[in-house]
Amino acid sequence: MSTDENVWSSTKAEWIKFRSVRSSIMGVLVFIVLTLGLGALITVAVRSHWHETSPVNRLTFDPVSTSLAGTIFAQFAVGVIGVLLISSEYSSGSIRTTLAAVPSRIRLASSKLIVLTASILVISEIVCFIAFMMGQAIFSGVVPTDSLASGPVLRSVMLAGIYLTLLAVFGFALGLILRQSAACISVFTSLLLVLPIIVLFLPQSWQNTITKYEPSALGRAMMSTTAPAQLFGAWTALLVLAIYVAVTLSAGVFLLHRRDA
Amino acid sequence: MGATLTSVLTTLMLKIDHLSKRYNDTLAVDDLDFDVKPGVVTGFLGPNGSGKSTTMRVILGLDHPTKGRATINGKKYAEIKSPLREVGALLDAKAVHPGRSARNHLRALAVSNKIPLARVDEVLEFAGIASVAHKKVGGFSLGMSQRLGIAGALLGDPGVLLFDEPVNGLDPEGIRWIREFFRSLAQEGRTVFVSSHLMSEMAVSADQIIVIGRGRFITQGSVDELTTTAQGTVFVRSSDPSGLAALIAHDDGVVLQNTESGLTIGALTSDQIGTLAHSAGITIFELTPQRASLEDVFMNLTAESVEYGSARPEMMHREH
Repeated sequence: MSTDENVWSSTKAEWIKFRSVRSSIMGVLVFIVLTLGLGALITVAVRSHWHETSPVNRLTFDPVSTSLAGTIFAQFAVGVIGVLLISSEYSSGSIRTTLAAVPSRIRLASSKLIVLTASILVISEIVCFIAFMMGQAIFSGVVPTDSLASGPVLRSVMLAGIYLTLLAVFGFALGLILRQSAACISVFTSLLLVLPIIVLFLPQSWQNTITKYEPSALGRAMMSTTAPAQLFGAWTALLVLAIYVAVTLSAGVFLLHRRDA
Repeated sequence: MGATLTSVLTTLMLKIDHLSKRYNDTLAVDDLDFDVKPGVVTGFLGPNGSGKSTTMRVILGLDHPTKGRATINGKKYAEIKSPLREVGALLDAKAVHPGRSARNHLRALAVSNKIPLARVDEVLEFAGIASVAHKKVGGFSLGMSQRLGIAGALLGDPGVLLFDEPVNGLDPEGIRWIREFFRSLAQEGRTVFVSSHLMSEMAVSADQIIVIGRGRFITQGSVDELTTTAQGTVFVRSSDPSGLAALIAHDDGVVLQNTESGLTIGALTSDQIGTLAHSAGITIFELTPQRASLEDVFMNLTAESVEYGSARPEMMHREH
């Protein structure tokens, strides 16, 4: 074992930092509560009103994405976790202490990324699978259910966790670029919520082209078992989102490397 | 160590090599070039905004230099494998996440540089904040934060220590503690570099002083050297003040004050003034050299840096 510092030691340090502040713990709790709580609320509501659901709606009903509806809210929680992982270092000034301990900015970014990706991926996958199974249990007997034995169902639940993880990384990348929590959260929310609303004002033919590229539409595509006509297929959607995140992250790491701390 | 002590000490050095740093239109540091040697406390003195913190930030690799470089033991900061084991720094005591406890803050620092965790408790104890180690840093007073920063700087038992305005916020007991602490670090052969805008603080805590103003090097030397080489003034009472004043002006002296009681003269020694007066037949009633205080020296030096934008050659007193 060499005494040289490596990504492993700075990653352990970032792990200590991540779990020793309330904001990340609270962020994770909010994320879990939103995904499971809202998932439960929505599935219970669907079950209790199933008898009055129209035949058309019954036909297009997707037990998978409905049980994962909580993720629509939870995506903001994971985004904020990603943003704060770096923006809080700038707001508190602790980035200077951090960089004095780990002067390689590439290594610092990698360590933060490893901690963020690993923790959010594990939590997201667990939470999404629980939300799915909880939803099916609530539906069972009244509303049609799906099983993880089906390939597309397994894929959707798995990709839901990956979607949330990618959004957390996207938040982190925004944090590297903008450095300020408020600015990052505004941009993040705008891209997920406001952008689709703006697109609605565009001509229909434009909408058909643009909508599927919206991050939230990519999420819907990744989480649905049947690819809706206007959206990308699940794997293509994953690829497009991954490209967004990779480009933003590269810009962020480049700026971290170049700018004064 | 023993026989190799000298060679170890000469390599344990902080070197500022023709360093310049420009932020947009502001040249914060302008061609600074000096060495900070081990075994003594070196003060880094300049008015607020003179580029001390910028220099410190460049040393730590936080800001990229526009020109030149800063090296520690021959290496740029970013090239040091375990920086906390070679350099301890306290730049801004409040640069800590307010929601993290002091111990967790130090633990993360220790782990990142493979420093044993037992060391965390040692430095907490040493800095006198062991009893509040589990408390959130956000609730710390500035003095407690300074102590936490000192604990962080000592974590890796480094040979080079940098402190930016460390006495700010400390109570008198803390100031006294930190002065003795700097001295003991230097006595152990470490390089100790302490910035301050307070002349009086440097006069008691530093052995060597480097003075900068407006980002430029002004002078360097021991406290004694600075006060003796800096031109003191001479107070003269004589039988013909106006005649003497004319002679002095003719001989490159400067009449700083001409009052009823007498002349205050700069740039000439009392010997030179006495000789001048004697040759003109002027009777001297009083001839008193007034030694500049370190405060005066500092004010003069930094005032000149503002006035001329550079140091006067005779003020340059560098050691090599």
